[in-house]
Parts: sequence; structure tokens; C-alpha cells
Amino acid sequence: MQRKIIHCDCDCFFAAVEMRDNPELRSIPIAIGGSADRRGVIATCNYMAREFGVRSAMSTAHALKLCPHLRVVSGNMAKYREVSQQVMNIFLEYTEIIEPLSLDEAFIDVTGSQHLQGSATLIADEIRRRVKEEVGISISAGVAPNKFLAKVASDWNKPDGIYVVLPNQVDAFVLTLPVKKISGVGEKTAEKLKKIGVETCQDLRAKSLAELVEGFGAFGKRLFDLSRGVDERPVKVSRIRKSISVEHTYPQDLADLESCIAQLPVLMEELDLRYTKLKEARAITGVVVKVKFFDFVQTTAEHTVTYPDIAHFRQLLIDAFNRGLRPVRLIGVGYRLADEGKDQPLQLSLLGDY
Amino acid sequence: MKFVISREALIKPLQLVAGVVERRQTLPVLSNILLVAEGDQLSMTGTDLEVELVGRVTLDEPAEAGSVTVPARKLMDICKSLPDSARIELTLTGQKMVIKAGRSRFSLSTLPAAEFPNVEDSPETLELSMVQQQLRNLIDKTGFSMAQQDVRYYLNGMLLEIADGKLRAVSTDGHRLATSVTDVEAEDGLQHQIIVPRKGILELARLLQNGDAELRLVIGASHIRAHVGDFTFTSKLVDGKFPDYERVIPKNGDKILLSDRMELRQVLSRIAILSNEKYRGVRLALSPGYLQVMANNPEQEEAEETLAVDYDGDSLEVGFNVNYLLDCLSILNSDVVRLTLSDSNSSALVEGFDEEGNLYVVMPMRM
Repeated sequence: MQRKIIHCDCDCFFAAVEMRDNPELRSIPIAIGGSADRRGVIATCNYMAREFGVRSAMSTAHALKLCPHLRVVSGNMAKYREVSQQVMNIFLEYTEIIEPLSLDEAFIDVTGSQHLQGSATLIADEIRRRVKEEVGISISAGVAPNKFLAKVASDWNKPDGIYVVLPNQVDAFVLTLPVKKISGVGEKTAEKLKKIGVETCQDLRAKSLAELVEGFGAFGKRLFDLSRGVDERPVKVSRIRKSISVEHTYPQDLADLESCIAQLPVLMEELDLRYTKLKEARAITGVVVKVKFFDFVQTTAEHTVTYPDIAHFRQLLIDAFNRGLRPVRLIGVGYRLADEGKDQPLQLSLLGDY
Repeated sequence: MKFVISREALIKPLQLVAGVVERRQTLPVLSNILLVAEGDQLSMTGTDLEVELVGRVTLDEPAEAGSVTVPARKLMDICKSLPDSARIELTLTGQKMVIKAGRSRFSLSTLPAAEFPNVEDSPETLELSMVQQQLRNLIDKTGFSMAQQDVRYYLNGMLLEIADGKLRAVSTDGHRLATSVTDVEAEDGLQHQIIVPRKGILELARLLQNGDAELRLVIGASHIRAHVGDFTFTSKLVDGKFPDYERVIPKNGDKILLSDRMELRQVLSRIAILSNEKYRGVRLALSPGYLQVMANNPEQEEAEETLAVDYDGDSLEVGFNVNYLLDCLSILNSDVVRLTLSDSNSSALVEGFDEEGNLYVVMPMRM
């Protein structure tokens, strides 16, 4: 059966909620994030702020340089979670096949739906209208035969827009897409693709499967499929957590490797606390260390290991630090998790925290 | 460059030297071996930049001198495929190495000898002599515990320590540790530690085939060189700090179990069949006079066996990765093995009853 997938994405969600609750914020550039003197970063900002070049993940200090009259609001996660639940409840009236990607975005599968003569476009329209009326924020939607295209489409007429890719339009739509629109193609991959003469999905189609797999591994096969508008991934009702991590931005940059290493025990303790609190215990398949340098360049180092101890994290931290050799503003540590549950035995470490 | 050599004389050193060459190379010349002919001497060199092996052969008749590099694997495959009694003539013609034997003729590509890299030398700091069997034995007794591609790079190798007239080898992957020791002639008070990378250890072991023949080790600040008969082997050292093995060896174990080594090994191998294939956990339950071994797997299958042992301590139940125990039991020589434990969260010591010098530490698994 022809699948019908809708990707719903709230427009600058945190900012929209704040603007809804406080009318004086509606006409000025605002951002949700940590304050500049505590070296906070921007989580979201409204479209007025975006016109000044303010972006997510930018330091608040930098954002204020770009837009001195920016109003920075500290976030209220409990409230956002509540609003998110309201939105999800509206989706639930149309289908139970919902895959939330975060608080403000979800895939919903309305294949075979009885609502509105089974028209995905009409369902998306009605969802958008109801979210605006009942929740008070705007939401953009993309309607397409699969997740990849639905996600691209929801961004097409953002904010407060909808875009529909009908099955017979898939081919034409995909051909014009720049490869950067493909999720998973970041700057590095885009650069690599450009080197072999690929900038659009049309260029990508000219490449053989063998060539793409050679250059990009398993992702090559995916690029091959996506450039043809093929994406068989089902909408998964409950997303399995793939990793767990904690990170910390330091009030003052950590000047050298020693001071970074000194932070590890605290981070590890927090990570292990979160790990033991997981609803379903899960086996560990690897460890990750993320380092963000003072200039916001960030790097991650990963290692496959079933029984990690602090020495693994220390070595990864050393490796990551050595790539930048400059002061560090943020360190993150995480475990990669196996799909399977954790009835695994725990191999104890001989070397302790050596 | 031209020389003639019998297949018999060429094949063994060629196989050893080509063994050092990695299959996948970033630098084309590294998949080649260097051939240098001079007078009645032929030398062959293979390297992967971390380790280097030079083998020397005396030729029956003087060569036309010269040097060049040729693809290692192809040269080896050609020599292997020739009849045992073949006499092989190698002639450098232009940029091709022409190989003739009987009615066969091969023309191999070459790269100039000048492109072939040297493993860098460092000033010598000490020299040791022993018989080959001594080092081979250390490696055989401990090599299996080396880590492999661990991010803690200093574990991907073997610690060699010279102290008090003894040479000690230690390897650990973080879950178990193996150590073995042998007497060597060294100056009084000489203390030195090096970490030889995993590949260096494995290649060195292949080379140490003549038990009683001499082995001379030259150790520099960043390399180790072994002179073994007609071969010179060089390996870079791992620059890192190895864990303090003394700290890891448990000293307070009060539960001592003696068992027939082969019997225990057989019991563990049987029970292991139904352990979790990935984690390999087995449970040992000690009680006076008996050891019970149990395993189960995610399919809910179970195995259990009890054997009589010499034990009169308190009851204790403790889990282990069965492979770690089996590795120790396979490598020990004594008929009787001694396990020293303290509790289910502390490391166990595994030794041969009358076997000096070889010691294994295994950390339990919480099951």
C-alpha cells in the first residue's frame, strides 16, 4: 500500500511557547538559552532574532553581539514538555503510529487512515489548524510517501507552512534537492561529495552503488536509495535510545589537558547515575567523549568496548584534546547502548581507575 | 643485479620477512621487500614502519651486486609454487625483476631501493643475551593476555622488564593479566622497562625457533632489536606507561583451591558450551572438597558439573569469563593448578602448583 507519512515540526518551539505566554515578547527578537555571563548557549530563537544571524547552539555572548537588543529568556523545560504533550495528543486523534524525534517534532504515519477520506494532506491541514487554535503555536508539516521526503518537505514552507510531495512528484522533487538536505549529510560529507562532483541528488544518481559504498560505507547505500526517493524506514512508535550522555560547559575554559582530565571523575559519576536510572537496563557497546574547544570547534572520539572504565574515557579525552590543543569550554561523556536488554554479566576491571 | 638461489634456501627466510609486510598498505613500497645482493650475500628486508625484519642468505655463487624492491607476496607465492628442487635465477632487467626457474619465467614490477624506508634507530641503552627459548617461552606464556586495538594503546603490547638479573614479561587487557619471568645475565642494579607493540611480539615469536641458539637483544630509547641467527628484527617501542603489575597481583587471597589441571580444564570446556556466547560467563561454587561449575545462556539452557578438589575454606560463589580461565589452564604445565581467591569481587590468582615464575590474574564477572 502507498504509505502516507507526515512530518510535523513546531516553528521555533521554545520561543513560540514563550511568545504565546508573554505578549510583550511577540514583537521583539528573543532567544531561549543560558545567560551570557554564565557562558550559556542559545537553544532556540524566534524569527526576528534569526534575521540578525542568531542561531541555535551559538553562545549567548556571541548572539548578543549580533543582536544587542536580543531578549534572552531562560527556558522552562517542564512547561515545554507539557505543551509538547498537548501537541502529541492532537496527533493521537488521527493515528497511533507516532514517532517523536524530540519535544517539537514527530513523524506520523496515516497510511490507511479513515479520517478525512484518508487524505494525508487534509489531515495535515487539520492538525496544523488545531495546534494553532488549541495550543496556540504554529506548526509546519511535510506530507510524503516516506520519512526522508516528509522531513525535507516540512522545512520547505517553514514557518507555518505545509508542503506535499505526491507519489507521482517524488522523482521531480528529489532531482532538484541539494545533497545537504539529506539528513546525515553534514558539512564533511557534503564536502566529500562535492569533491566527486556531487551537489544535488541528480548528481548523486549518476554514481553507481558500488562507488558510493566504497566511499561512504553503509551510508553510501542509503545515499543511493535516498537520491532515488526511496526510504523504507517505518515510523517507529517508540524510539530506542541509542546512547546516553552527560556534558558540562565550564564557567571558565579548561586551559590544558590536565584540567580536562581532572573533570572526568565528576562527569563519569553523573553518567553512571543516569545510566543506572534508565527505565530498561541496557548493555553498553561503546564509549564516546566530546570536546568543544573555546572557539566552538568540536570533536568526538569513540571506542567500541563492552566493559568500559575510566581509563577508556581518559584515553579518548587525550585523543580528542590533542586534535585541538587549545582551551576547552565543554566536555561530554557518553555510553553507546545495545538494543538488547542488560541481562549481561558485568566483567570487573583489573586495573581499576588506572 | 643478478643472483641464483635454490628454492630451499630462499623459501624460509622469504616467508618470515614477507610475514612482516601488511596486506593493506597506504604506501606502495611497503608491500614490497627490499633485496640487496653483494658478493655471496643476499639480504631481504620487510617492514610496516613499526617493525622491520632483515634476513640474510649466503649464495652458492657470487651475485652481480645491486638492490631493488619487489612485491613481497607475489615473490613468495611464486617461490612457493615452484618445485622443491628448483634453482631460481633473479635478474633485474630495466625496471623488471625477471625470475626464471626451469621453464617458468616471471617478470615482476619493482620500485627503487631508495624509496624503501628504514625503521629509525635510536641510541643503544642496553644489551642482553640469552637463548632463544627463554624469550619464546615468556611470549608463549603471556602473549595471549595482550590487548588488541584497545584505545589504551599501552596495553596493545607486552611489558618487558629487566630488574635484579631477571627478565619479566607482563601483558594485560584490563580484565586479566599474565606474567612470566626468566633469569638473564645483566649488570647488578640494572632496571629497565619497555613496551613492545603487539605485532612486534608476534613477529618476534615466529622468529625464535631454535631453542638453544643464542639471542641478542639490543634496546634503545625508542626501539628494540633482536639478533637471531641470520635475522635482525627491529621493532619500535610503545611510548606509554604500563600499569603497575605488582599492584594488580592479589596478595590477600585466603581461599586456596588445588585441582587437577586437565580435569578442571575439561569440566570448564564442557560447561562453557551452554554459557552466553557473547559474555562467556560461568559460575564457580566452592565448598569443602568440591567445586561446582555452572552456566546458562539466554535460551534458558543450563549446564552443571561438580568435581572433587582440594579445598577446605569457606563457601564462595564467583563468576568468570570461562575463556580467561581456559587460557590459563591451557598454557600452564603443572599437573596441579592452584586458584587463590578472596571474594566474588576480587581478582583470582591462577598458578601451576610446582611451576615457578608463571602467574595469572583473572578478574571475576558479576553475574
